[in-house]
Amino acid sequence: MTDPARPDEFAPDDSDDLIAAEYVLGTLSRTERRAAQNRMDVDGGFAARVRAWESRFAALNDGYQDAAVPDLLPQIEARLFAHPVSTSPKSLRGRWFGFGALAGTVFTALVLALAILLGPVIRPTTAPLNLQASLVAEPQALSFAARWNSASNELVLTRVAGEPAPVGQDYEVWLIDASGVPRSLGLIQGASLQVAADLAPGLTLAISLEPEGGSPNPVPSGPVLAAAALTEG
Amino acid sequence: MCKPNKHIRFVDIARAMPSYSRGIQYRPCGLTNESLKELLQDIARQDRAAFRSLYRLTSPKLSGVLFRMLRDSTEVEDALQDVYVRIWQRAAQFDATRGAAMGWLIAIARNIALDRLRARPEARGLQQANPVSDMSGDSDPIDRLPDLGLNAEGQFLARDDARRIVDCMKQLPQDRAAAIQGAYLQGLSYEDLARRYAVPLNTMRTWLRRSLLRLRECLDQ
Repeated sequence: MTDPARPDEFAPDDSDDLIAAEYVLGTLSRTERRAAQNRMDVDGGFAARVRAWESRFAALNDGYQDAAVPDLLPQIEARLFAHPVSTSPKSLRGRWFGFGALAGTVFTALVLALAILLGPVIRPTTAPLNLQASLVAEPQALSFAARWNSASNELVLTRVAGEPAPVGQDYEVWLIDASGVPRSLGLIQGASLQVAADLAPGLTLAISLEPEGGSPNPVPSGPVLAAAALTEG
Repeated sequence: MCKPNKHIRFVDIARAMPSYSRGIQYRPCGLTNESLKELLQDIARQDRAAFRSLYRLTSPKLSGVLFRMLRDSTEVEDALQDVYVRIWQRAAQFDATRGAAMGWLIAIARNIALDRLRARPEARGLQQANPVSDMSGDSDPIDRLPDLGLNAEGQFLARDDARRIVDCMKQLPQDRAAAIQGAYLQGLSYEDLARRYAVPLNTMRTWLRRSLLRLRECLDQ
């Protein structure tokens, strides 16, 4: 399939809007869907395009008819309320935002608060903090490993599986903090990127596919291929 | 609204899913945008009773969405659970100023169905292109287009947005409009559509993209 982000005959602005339309319509392949979903998480403009198409198509919803269904409330409530914080393995398969992410954020915030309060007690301030993240782009077996160490304050991001970016394009690395606004950390040209960065557990790293030299915008312009939160380890 | 649901295709459902033919469902009272909006706001505050009411009110419609797209009763049961788990988790994100509550719920159901369809192995994906397997009986989407937006009570046509999309779809070549409708309602992929219309995949995509731009232009007027 041709690259949906770079069709020949459509203007760049239309091209973005068409991906949003195709996402809502549902015609995208699994990889393209995943890329669009990741992009919605970090690119508010793109998310707004998706919402606009959702409301344009909403009138087609009357084409759906009701169906009878057995009462699945017991199973649903068991999934939701038996273990309110832990997420079921099934749920982890897809994107996981909403309550799970919220619970995760709250948990991370608590851990951070505790770490700040008790930091001097439970961990000598001189002990290095090691962070890591595994960024996997499904299903192309494209995968990146991120490692950071507070002693060096340096992030090393290495492509551990998959191909380099296609000719004329680059992988760009983004850091997303609680504000949700991505900040570029640089390009992975070759197999890895080494960059000084102030990081903390819970911050998210994301990788997008951009034109050569990086996104022309301060936020990702191409599909976000993978994203993961930094954890200690 | 609080009437027996006349447009349920009971025969089709019974044929497609014998385990579901326990009785015709009646559309419950309370399916207004206002009531659903209030329920979602309560659910955002972790109100489990509201969640149960929402399930009873909306599960027939959301099951209908999932059946139309997945056409596998076991998978529909799994997907319906995923849908309501996600509704509980994301209720706080529902923004009533941005659209109708039912539209928001259906978008969640469609997205879960689409993620499942695209995760299917190619061999099962092929089923999607087979019009015979469409349980709702509209094997040729073109046939349904003139009826688009009509229900048994005829109330749908009174809605301006519905009228507009019907008018705008009719301005497209008929096969393109049918392709868009088939993609939206049944979750057909570009591969499915290319096979159904016997054109190369890239041609299909270019056709559809041009049609989407025309549709946007018409709808945004």
